[in-house]
Amino acid sequence: MDAQYRDLMMKRVNRFFGYSLLILTSLILIAPVFFMVISSLKVDAEYLTYPIRVFPSTPQWRNYQLVFIMTPFAKVALRTAVLALSTATLSALISSMVGFAFARYNDVKGNKQLFGLVIAMLIVPFIVILIPQFILYARLKLTNTYWPWILGALAGSPYNIFMFRQFFLNFPKELEDAAEIDGCNPFQIYWRIFLPNAKPVIATVMIFGFINVWGDYLMPSIYLNASKTLLGVTLATAFKNPQGIDLKTISLAASVIYILPLIIVFFFGQKQILKGVVTSGLKG
Amino acid sequence: MAEKLLKKISRRDVLKLSGTFLGGALLASCAPATEAPAPVAEPTEKPVEPTAAPVTEAPVAEPISGHVVVMHNLAEFTEDHVAAFQEANPGITVEVVDGMDPTRFFAMYAAGSPPDIYRLQAPSIPGLLARKLLLDLTPYFEASQLIDIADLAPANDYYKAESPLEIGTGKIYGMCKDFSPDCTIFANKAHFEKAGLPIPDDTKAMTFTEIVDAAKQLTTFDGERMLQYGYGYETAWIDRFWMNMLAETGASLYAAGYEKINLTESEDAKAIVQWFYDLAAEKVSPSPKNPSPAGWFGTDFVGATASMAQYGFWFSAMAIGDANKDAVMMLPGPTWAGERRDPTVTATGAIMTSATQVPDAAWKVFEYYHAGQPSIERAGSGWGVPALKSQWSMIPQGTDFQKQAYKVLQGELELNTSPLQFNPFIGETVVSNAWNLYLDQALSGTITFDDMLAGIEKDTNTAIKEGIDRIIP
Amino acid sequence: MESGITANQLERKESGQRTLTRNQRRTLTFYLFVSPWVIGFVLLGIFPLLVGLLTSFTNYDGLNLDTVKFVGLGNYARVFEDPDVSFSLVRTILWGLANLPLWLVLSFLLALILNQDVKGSGFFRTIFYLPSLIPITAAVTAWRIILEKNFGMLNASISRFTPEPVAIGWLSDYSLPGMTSIAIWGGLGYGMVIFLAGLQGIPDELKEAAQIDGANSWQVFRHITLPLMTPVIFFQLVLGLIGSFQQLNLPLLVTKVGIAASSVPPRPIYLYMIHTYQQIFTSGRYGYGTALLWMLFIGILILTWIVFWSEKYWVYSGASEGAN
Repeated sequence: MDAQYRDLMMKRVNRFFGYSLLILTSLILIAPVFFMVISSLKVDAEYLTYPIRVFPSTPQWRNYQLVFIMTPFAKVALRTAVLALSTATLSALISSMVGFAFARYNDVKGNKQLFGLVIAMLIVPFIVILIPQFILYARLKLTNTYWPWILGALAGSPYNIFMFRQFFLNFPKELEDAAEIDGCNPFQIYWRIFLPNAKPVIATVMIFGFINVWGDYLMPSIYLNASKTLLGVTLATAFKNPQGIDLKTISLAASVIYILPLIIVFFFGQKQILKGVVTSGLKG
Repeated sequence: MAEKLLKKISRRDVLKLSGTFLGGALLASCAPATEAPAPVAEPTEKPVEPTAAPVTEAPVAEPISGHVVVMHNLAEFTEDHVAAFQEANPGITVEVVDGMDPTRFFAMYAAGSPPDIYRLQAPSIPGLLARKLLLDLTPYFEASQLIDIADLAPANDYYKAESPLEIGTGKIYGMCKDFSPDCTIFANKAHFEKAGLPIPDDTKAMTFTEIVDAAKQLTTFDGERMLQYGYGYETAWIDRFWMNMLAETGASLYAAGYEKINLTESEDAKAIVQWFYDLAAEKVSPSPKNPSPAGWFGTDFVGATASMAQYGFWFSAMAIGDANKDAVMMLPGPTWAGERRDPTVTATGAIMTSATQVPDAAWKVFEYYHAGQPSIERAGSGWGVPALKSQWSMIPQGTDFQKQAYKVLQGELELNTSPLQFNPFIGETVVSNAWNLYLDQALSGTITFDDMLAGIEKDTNTAIKEGIDRIIP
Repeated sequence: MESGITANQLERKESGQRTLTRNQRRTLTFYLFVSPWVIGFVLLGIFPLLVGLLTSFTNYDGLNLDTVKFVGLGNYARVFEDPDVSFSLVRTILWGLANLPLWLVLSFLLALILNQDVKGSGFFRTIFYLPSLIPITAAVTAWRIILEKNFGMLNASISRFTPEPVAIGWLSDYSLPGMTSIAIWGGLGYGMVIFLAGLQGIPDELKEAAQIDGANSWQVFRHITLPLMTPVIFFQLVLGLIGSFQQLNLPLLVTKVGIAASSVPPRPIYLYMIHTYQQIFTSGRYGYGTALLWMLFIGILILTWIVFWSEKYWVYSGASEGAN
């Protein structure tokens, strides 16, 4: 009886500390975001002043207007969103399949070596293959198209493959054996048993995949021209004055608009990471 | 032979031709702009240059078509410009690629499809020319209805060259989109008054000694915290300033043949570098140890945390902010040895690459951007001095500040000295980069001033040697 | 599940010698499943890699295709002679040491806390992830307001407690702690999400079973959660290692001064990739830069291989139980 009461009290104290820690951490983490938003309403010269002024003298709501005037922001954003979603999904699917094979077929000859190659590709600095890959696509006349992204997604990404492999390593062997005895072929084992239980990783991989394309600068800057460009390039290059100098505060405004969809995507995506309703009273 | 010609020239073509001649005549009479930014220079027919580049021997009736890739600043060559041009020139399509990042340029070259038009600054010209990457545009300029070679401002001389080591006269490879005397100084009068210093005279050039004296008194501190800089300049252009200062006495930063940089051996160069070093050491100007708060010094000036900023005339378009309203004045460029030189060192413009497959179409685009409607817009915007002298009257002179700046500008433009010869063997930022790298260490005290000099010299000489090695097969 | 005869033997008994053995079938399945990646690699990876390797044996500068010369191993020899290489390598290692452990521990902790059914966990998770969503350029711009030497918030706050206002160069002299703050701030959410995904993958039944057996929270953590999380920790460690060594953008953005984007980061954060970037884009030494990148690749590969070699000592794997 006594032990249970103590345990309960410990839980209460834990919870109090836990919440305080959470709120404190939130405040610390949010502070720079707050500065970012508040600065987006300033004139460029007010960005850093002395004496230090947190709030702008006159909020420049016009900065947000300018984002849409200076660039076809909405059009580019939509274009980017479609590409991001499709490539994220494609890559997640393919990578899960490949990762499954690496994880569950440890006994096959060449598994470890091939996986080593996958990891090696993760380590190769992108700049090394950037221009040669561009040459390749140029010969195929696929520059200024979205094919580099789609073909890349169809091959799965080393990062995603790695993540799925690690996740699938955890599943007990008995699951596979039972399914095999039941007459399932490997694809069915993958599709019906492993994949549905990988929702957390799928959600994670898709969120990251989406964010990657949403904000990537390097690839679109190399492959796409102005009429087809993606959001990452617009964000990084479009907000300059005629001399080529960055307009910081307008860039910040654009960044704020840029992250809004991401917050929404994440907020709903992370619910998927949560594995259903928790029933056990022993939790928390 | 005659039949063949006749067969090729149909009736429609004859009409087109005559229309073109008429159009050409009209254009010639509506000579470059007056105050009204009306689309005077916009050709309305498909212009076929009757005396086009000597290359073409094809029948003149061939309309110019092609797909032109322009590598430029997206904020300067906008979608509106593209649309307007394409409307006036059906047959030519334009695609703009952001060119502020060199990676794309390399990639396009490596893939064998470089851009047709490329935006750059004057110091790049010798290097690109040495690699034979530039197209000789003299025939186009000579035949152009929109551009009169005599009308080109002197800053365009940077785009003329006989050879990579003879910049200034000769074949024309491009032109600037606008330019500025780059060594002019913008000063905050209120700061001078507060420090008890006399307001500088805008008809006289300050000496560098006067600058550093004033700057030392203008830099204020609160404890360790610095409240305002005395003086600042564009660090990436430091070697251009050195060259300009040395040229006042006829000295050069580089040894003959441009195969070596003269730093440790030249007393003049040493003194100049020392001056810049002292600025940083005394915390009077931004340095790696004392970086500009806003990330770019110009913003600091606009926010009134800097007293003097050495930027070109283009800065006048953005120099005034709430914090320094009514207190900004423009001063002539300073002098190091008493001899005033034309201080233009940038002259941003564009060239056409020698590998272009569509030179005629690309020239149309080039012409349009540099002498057509976009140039008129630029002239009236105050972001630089127009590249065509006939457009100089369009420089805005509305406010008191603009009038004062224009007055100083006139003085600068009257200085007509030869362009600086940049080194064709190294990139634009090799020297300034070495400067930054070694300055940081010298200011920390890990190396001495002479070590710093030697380091910059060694790095630059190595780069030059490699550059020569790359150009000569 | 033990059965009297293995599936393999059953197979052979029933259908004779012509069908594939189980091993052969497994091999076929494996290669079929991984074929998308392999094909992609062969078609889109090998050529660029070879060209990239080839470039490191030349004096290519990005433009001089006509006059490019072979220099054999000259670039690689240079890597060993260049004093800035060792300097930047040391800085990169220090950067990794400052960054990686802190990030791992903090994001794991956050994930543990938020894995529970705390009220508003979704809200908190989104807030914690927010910094990771902010594009790095905006993040540095925002952090500059805090860290800037003369007008920044941090120095202003510190100055309240000192006799004279201080101007600590968080972006120059002390840029290592300065940049580390930005990096950890931006990386916490991302790390937390991965750890969360892993934590959510731990079946509740295991934990409940342990608790029924009388284990307290710490023991559940120590004996169930932590071991089952080792694959994820392993994943984070490997990727964090690779990421730290490849860090390029952060120092560049922190330093950005002037119209011409090339400015040199201060010595404390002059990382290896920065040196490479300078060589390629400022000095035009594309060939040498590629050689530097390959050396980096080898270095990271060795480190990663060490971590992988250690995998069998501390990483739990459900797939290898029983079968291997």
